[in-house]
Amino acid sequence: MSITTMTAKERIMKLFAGEEVDRPPCFSGMGNVTTEGLKSLGYKFAASHLDAKMMADAASTTYKLFGFECGVVPFDLCVEAEALGCEINVYAHSEDLLYPTIKKKLIHKEDEMEISLPSGFQEKGRIPLVCEAIGLMKKDIGGDVPIGTYVLGPFTLAGQIMELNDLLKLSFKKPDKVGKLLALLADAIVMVAGQFQKAGIDYITVREMGATSDVLSPRVFKNLIQPYLKKIFDRLTVPSVLHICGKTNDIVPFMMETGAKAISVDQKNDVAESRKKLGKDALIFGNYDPYNVLVAGTPEMVKETMKKCMDDGVSAVWPGCDIWPTVPAENIRTMMDEVKKYRR
Amino acid sequence: MAADEKKKELLERLRNAVIQYDEDAAKEASREVLDVGMDANDAIFNGLVSGMEEVGRLFEAQEYFVPELLMCADALYAGLDILKPHVKQLDLGVRGSVVIGTVEGDVHDIGKNIVKMMFDVAGFTVYDLGRDVPLDKFVEEQLRTDSDLVCLSAMMTTTMTGMKKVIDDLRTKNPNVKIMIGGAPVSADIAEKWGADGYAKDANNALKDAINMISSLKKLKEEAEARKK
Repeated sequence: MSITTMTAKERIMKLFAGEEVDRPPCFSGMGNVTTEGLKSLGYKFAASHLDAKMMADAASTTYKLFGFECGVVPFDLCVEAEALGCEINVYAHSEDLLYPTIKKKLIHKEDEMEISLPSGFQEKGRIPLVCEAIGLMKKDIGGDVPIGTYVLGPFTLAGQIMELNDLLKLSFKKPDKVGKLLALLADAIVMVAGQFQKAGIDYITVREMGATSDVLSPRVFKNLIQPYLKKIFDRLTVPSVLHICGKTNDIVPFMMETGAKAISVDQKNDVAESRKKLGKDALIFGNYDPYNVLVAGTPEMVKETMKKCMDDGVSAVWPGCDIWPTVPAENIRTMMDEVKKYRR
Repeated sequence: MAADEKKKELLERLRNAVIQYDEDAAKEASREVLDVGMDANDAIFNGLVSGMEEVGRLFEAQEYFVPELLMCADALYAGLDILKPHVKQLDLGVRGSVVIGTVEGDVHDIGKNIVKMMFDVAGFTVYDLGRDVPLDKFVEEQLRTDSDLVCLSAMMTTTMTGMKKVIDDLRTKNPNVKIMIGGAPVSADIAEKWGADGYAKDANNALKDAINMISSLKKLKEEAEARKK
């Protein structure tokens, strides 16, 4: 097979397998639904979180309209916390683009930290709904592009089910207690990921943005959080990506040591330096600013940014966070063109 | 002389209590401040706040991270709770009231709380709307309280666009109000584009900006007084 006829799916799966590809793919492991896509279907954003078909349809439009090289569900970050028993708010009444948030926490004080998983946890909340959406997308576009999903990292999930203030202070004052909670959440995350794997995903991203060096010292990351991330990546069966945003240059080696196939960093990472540190074969995904460049930037700025990402040595052109839905069609097309014509 | 030395010792202890996030030490030193009849205002600014400025430096140097910052803030509040009732209302030359909150869709409030702390310290009246605040609520609260400053916070790219709506709405209804925005995804460019007066990039910068804002307010007040003379 000639290299020029590679589909997006072949390109990305080869990349994960460590094989040679014609160019860096342009995709994401995080939310990338667009207002244009929702408009083309006549869907409301708030409704798309609660209906598998709407979720799958909406997620597929970023590929169908713009050739973005993946399909990713869900769009919000509350799936695991909801399944654990938190109440969520989808802002059903709002006309604005609002992502669901946690309305009610599970743990309110330190002595409530010893929780156990609800029985049948992996069938709770919207986990089956996301699985169904994965199946629908796979049938629809899964031949052309890889289908992905994400789960939270244990520390980020802990920050959702309890007060982040308390979690941060306790990770300093009582690391053993926090460690115990993280161990349980790591198990929960593997169970959720297992359901998504069964549903047929091609790759998965673990989002541990709560443990960025903007917030926690690299030492705490290494001692308290990395061991549980390792446990998760050890048990995942599909290609996996570890995403941490913010200042990550000091922790990229620790991120790689977790066993993730690839790491994902945002615009605050100096990728040229990370590349030097990690070597030519490491899979580094990144690192454009999905709002200031892709949504608010000019096409010219988009072009320059994509070129810089690739010149710096990203293995895949990939956003630093979820893509904000109001991205102008011209910018996303410019991005795709720039990546497609790039030759190293 | 002895009193001066005691004063120096107490300021140093307050400062260190904040830096070493020792709530008990902060309480103990604050009680002694009152016992010896020292000026509470002096103790707050040259003891507690001076400690917090050093914390800001340690944060910048990446020796301290957010957990340490939060614990230092707890120590500062432990002292402030004891000292504040003994401070005469600070007149900073402005009305000194601020509406603060995290915009709708966003449940992160650490950065917001740190900025709030600095306003508490400076004797501002703070109307804290909390987190996940419906956008209209900011405008309503500003009009209700006639506050000089509105601080908006967002931690995520996916929520910060709500700020623009609040800014536009505030500007239409009250062109004189000062607006400060902050949070990880916000940039100086965005602040300028959206028409905010101030911008704080993250918890660290929020802290610095809040300190700067308070210092510049103090300076304005001094200048105003100098002109009066």
